[in-house]
Amino acid sequence: MGTQGDLSKDEELGSSHQDHNISHKETVMKGWAWTLILAGVLMALPAAPGMCGKVEDGIKIGAAGPFTGAAAAPGMEIYNSIKLAVEEKNAAGGIQGVKVELVMGDTAGDAAQGVNVAERFCSDDRIYGVVGPAMSDIAEAVLRLYGSHDMVQISSAATKSDLTEKGYGHFFRTCARNDAYGPAVARFLVHRLEAKRVYLLNAKDAYSQGFADQVAKTLEALGVQEVWRDTVVSGEKDYSSVLTKVKARNPDLVLFASKPPPDHTLMVRQMRDLGIQAIYFGTEGAKDKAEFIKASEGAAEGAYVYHFATDIHKVPEAKDYVEAYEKTYGTLSGFGPSAYEAARILLAAVERAAEDGAIDRKEVLEEVAATKDFPSILGFPVTFDEKGDLKGGATYIFKVRGDDFELVEVVTGAGTT
Amino acid sequence: MDLILQQLPQQLVNGFTVGGVYALIAIGYSMVYGVLFMLNFAHGEIYMVGGFTGWWVLHFLSSPEGLRAPPLVVVLAMILAAMVLCGALGVAVERVAYRRLRQAPRINLLLCALGVAILLQNTVLQTHGAETRHFLVSDLIPSELRVMEVGGVVLSFMRVVVVVAALALMAGLTWMIRRTKMGKAMRATAQDAEAAAFMGIETDRIVMWTFFIGSALGGAAGALVGLLFTQVDFFMGYAAGIKGFTGAVLGGIGSIPGAMLGGLLLGLLEALGTAFISSTYRDVIAFVVLILVMLFRPQGLLGRKELEKV
Repeated sequence: MGTQGDLSKDEELGSSHQDHNISHKETVMKGWAWTLILAGVLMALPAAPGMCGKVEDGIKIGAAGPFTGAAAAPGMEIYNSIKLAVEEKNAAGGIQGVKVELVMGDTAGDAAQGVNVAERFCSDDRIYGVVGPAMSDIAEAVLRLYGSHDMVQISSAATKSDLTEKGYGHFFRTCARNDAYGPAVARFLVHRLEAKRVYLLNAKDAYSQGFADQVAKTLEALGVQEVWRDTVVSGEKDYSSVLTKVKARNPDLVLFASKPPPDHTLMVRQMRDLGIQAIYFGTEGAKDKAEFIKASEGAAEGAYVYHFATDIHKVPEAKDYVEAYEKTYGTLSGFGPSAYEAARILLAAVERAAEDGAIDRKEVLEEVAATKDFPSILGFPVTFDEKGDLKGGATYIFKVRGDDFELVEVVTGAGTT
Repeated sequence: MDLILQQLPQQLVNGFTVGGVYALIAIGYSMVYGVLFMLNFAHGEIYMVGGFTGWWVLHFLSSPEGLRAPPLVVVLAMILAAMVLCGALGVAVERVAYRRLRQAPRINLLLCALGVAILLQNTVLQTHGAETRHFLVSDLIPSELRVMEVGGVVLSFMRVVVVVAALALMAGLTWMIRRTKMGKAMRATAQDAEAAAFMGIETDRIVMWTFFIGSALGGAAGALVGLLFTQVDFFMGYAAGIKGFTGAVLGGIGSIPGAMLGGLLLGLLEALGTAFISSTYRDVIAFVVLILVMLFRPQGLLGRKELEKV
């Protein structure tokens, strides 16, 4: 084989060949050392904090989210809504005449990819703010990176509670948090659906785990004795084994926390195929007419879903947005409005920061933090609290009736009453 | 404990169903390994293509008013189309990518296979997008038979269809290997390619048929999974490929009965592991078993100890 031949060649040529080898090696190593040092210096340069820029040099904002992958349906609704907000701004003259450019950063629902996107955005000096990431675990992974570059983030859908508890001043969200939704949903289950035997299933990601934990905690506080839990691997197509366990317990209600709509479709279908009659309760991802109701071909009838956004078709302030969106992109499921608002708030903040002709990320961040009573299409004015959370969000519960979702309850307030 | 025993029959059914699918994929790996001593890592992606083929056939044979053909015809068409297309794809891959590397070190073939896998996955991603495709199967299921309860075990119609189809395919393959001339030629080539060539068996043709059949079975598995789980996406080949490969190794790589056994066993282990231990560790359990088998019986359950030919 090849290696053996080389050895014998070395032996044949003797010491002189080896001496030549050593000095050649030394030269090569020196060359490598310089290359490494140079590469290191070049790589460190973009990490320097965003420099102050002039408005006429161009203004960009980034959109980070799962635009491909299992959660692509809500992901693209988010992107298209952000795009709509940017296009509207540009049609109205942009910022001091400069058109805003939207940069797409696809995280594909993967944390490593999310970090890549964050690095790309931070190293682009013309990007002054980011809408997203939409997924809690991705948002968690990139908090520190964006923070170290003073890049403001407004997420439209990352609901994991502790994202705003870590002491970062650059993260905001136009959706409420799990520790508001979780307890709200649990209260609905107990007071309205009178569930006494609840099986909680969740996928093993930050959002789903967090949400299920919150629901379990509240159910316990409310005195529900029969609560069982299990986790599934997201992307797994076969839930029959865990559902067999569920069936053995004979619960009144099965709650499944997972992000991608297809997971919910599978779960509810397989539940019915196994003859489990319990009520199905899905998390936000399930609120998708095409992916959940239509694709499950009747299995989803009577299922409940919670969402952080109301039925946008019923909010009068949102009429123009709904029309504009649905004309181009199809029916809205629920993820769009908060993304549209997040983009509008960011653009407004950039505009205020750009008033003096110069603009930098810290200024934009301060303007976003100062957002107060921003007239929004969500049905209430937007104000951020000192942690970056939304003031005044509610939890909306929908039920599947026929081929659409019907709003059945609005749960407000936090806590476990 | 009672609770678990109560679940046992149902879990066995669950395990058997998914095990049948794993077995079909595993057979593809074993067949190719037996003849070429290479692990065709593109096999998982061929399974994925089979799934999409099934989707397209269902799509063409469906209309807003209902199916354009009787349900049985549609199901058979889905499976057959997947088999033919994937078989052809397997042959094409062999001809274009692997044939020239037959004398090369095994690692080259492995890398080539990975390259083909990436190519297939990304081609489907580009042409079909990243969203999950749903199978609207309710028209295929007779309404009275939708969910049947047999002795405490709930069987959905589709589940029965999948198990029956998988068993039929495996039986067909076994018959072919044992009773036909082609089967004999394949076994001969797997045992000793040189000697088989001396006996007048054209190695190239046998390799082509091996790839055709192995890939066809993988494609059928993809279509069956589409029918059963009603979803396909461009990424499903990766996980299924690993499971199929594990099943093949578990049963003894190179051995077709081993692949069937390994695949079924893997499915059962996953189901029972979920029931008795936890559904979170479903994959972990399967792979721990694989490691144990590799440690104590490296040739797999039905494999022969490889003699070092000096």
